[in-house]
Amino acid sequence: MNKKVVIAFLFMFLLTISTGVYGVILSNTEPTLFWFAVPAGNITEPKVLRGPGPPINLTPIKVDIDRFTPLKKFFNPNVVEIGTHWIYNYGKKPVILRIELINCTLPVKWDVSANFPFDEKTHTFTKPLMPGQRIDGLVFHWIFEIPPELMNKPIIYQGGVKLIDANTGEVLTFIPIEIVRGELMRGGS
Amino acid sequence: MNRFEILKKNKWRYISFIIGFLLLVSPFALLIRLEFWITGNLAEPSIHYACLRMPIGWIFRGAVNYLISRPEMTAFIIGVLGLSLFLGPIFCGWLCPVGAVSEAISRIIPLPNKFRIHIKDTNITSALRYGFFAGYITIYILIGLKLSGDWIGSICCRFCASTILQNLAAGIFGWLLPTYGSIEYWGTASIIVLISWLIIGGIFTYGGRGWCLFFCPLGAFSNLLYKVGAKLGFYRITYNKDKCSHCKKCNLVCPMWAIKSDHSVETALCINCKECVNICPTGALTMKWGKENATK
Ligand code: SF4
Ligand code: SF4
Repeated sequence: MNKKVVIAFLFMFLLTISTGVYGVILSNTEPTLFWFAVPAGNITEPKVLRGPGPPINLTPIKVDIDRFTPLKKFFNPNVVEIGTHWIYNYGKKPVILRIELINCTLPVKWDVSANFPFDEKTHTFTKPLMPGQRIDGLVFHWIFEIPPELMNKPIIYQGGVKLIDANTGEVLTFIPIEIVRGELMRGGS
Repeated sequence: MNRFEILKKNKWRYISFIIGFLLLVSPFALLIRLEFWITGNLAEPSIHYACLRMPIGWIFRGAVNYLISRPEMTAFIIGVLGLSLFLGPIFCGWLCPVGAVSEAISRIIPLPNKFRIHIKDTNITSALRYGFFAGYITIYILIGLKLSGDWIGSICCRFCASTILQNLAAGIFGWLLPTYGSIEYWGTASIIVLISWLIIGGIFTYGGRGWCLFFCPLGAFSNLLYKVGAKLGFYRITYNKDKCSHCKKCNLVCPMWAIKSDHSVETALCINCKECVNICPTGALTMKWGKENATK
């Protein structure tokens, strides 16, 4: 077989594999997707919630914009996306879920689509989520826009997401969310 | 033949691309809307429900549960692949909005061809294309066998041209109808995809199909099936060397670099767009059914 053909094949094969590896590296520097489940309580450290479906890894969410790649820093440094495709009910009773983003003064756009009724005004999935069930066909994103005056602050956003039983007001899960700058420097000081 | 004549000769193809866009891309997404209306699905219709990447990954990682739980995506991919066996990759050549947009951009922007990438050896182009496809399926086999660990991940959602197209459409047509997608957020991977799909693959690639040629698993898989289908005598392009005047017009119009040096057609690359058939002055390239002259 022609040597050039073999080299071309191997080149693209390795480039593709490297893209898969780079995707993992990117998910550390630009985390976007997380798993959510109720009831998990206050998530102060990574935790695995077990239930009838897959084990759910819940973790406090921290985005350090200093870890963005040069490309992201150059083109779109002030927009952070956080979202999920997975919200599960691992509790024992049906629950109407309201989602609340707390302490957020940043402009944030909610981009939600699901095969499940969602009220955009109250941020509530208006149908009960049955035990063991997950919200079908969910695509859920918050798009945070950081105003220029906050871009140089060490802590840009410190709050979190509450998953609340809309009927009783009980907080079923709380996941802290932080958008920070230079996490390593602060950690060392 | 000038650009206008080429446009006229292939008008049904370009109309078909507009239909493909309206069928799949939100806020229109008419095909997905129809399906959601029939099935009572409440999600916002978008091209993501006709995903060109994920179900192929599911097939190779053996994720039967995903294939069953997303029947609309599975049916779409099986439909496109099935058509490719019998009719060639006509989804790519006539409907796919991802391929259509990059091809359109390359035609609209009048960049001299000397600044455009064009590999004339179909063996090398095929090797690059199937090197990507082999890498793509290797990743999903590793994931399926749980050998991917934390070192390699899926290259579907993060590196997806459909997402970029959908987000751009949301930015352009968002005022018309509620639409899914956001133009505000650009992650590193999406910037890389935008550059590879529209800038390098569209503007700086001859024919504007760089993404289709080198980064689309559905395109590569469809062409593998077309190659098999053509050997079995299904609908295919055929070349009659006795009629060929070697004018090279087919080379000039082929967006997939599929014409070999002897002017026969490489079915591992051709998307049955018929641009070459329509321009060929001697009728050396024709579409055929049946075993007679099936590609060797
Ligand atoms: S190769 Fe992929 S992106 Fe190109 S036309 Fe075919 S499905 Fe669309
Ligand atoms: S060989 Fe002809 S039909 Fe095939 S992609 Fe090229 S121009 Fe289109």
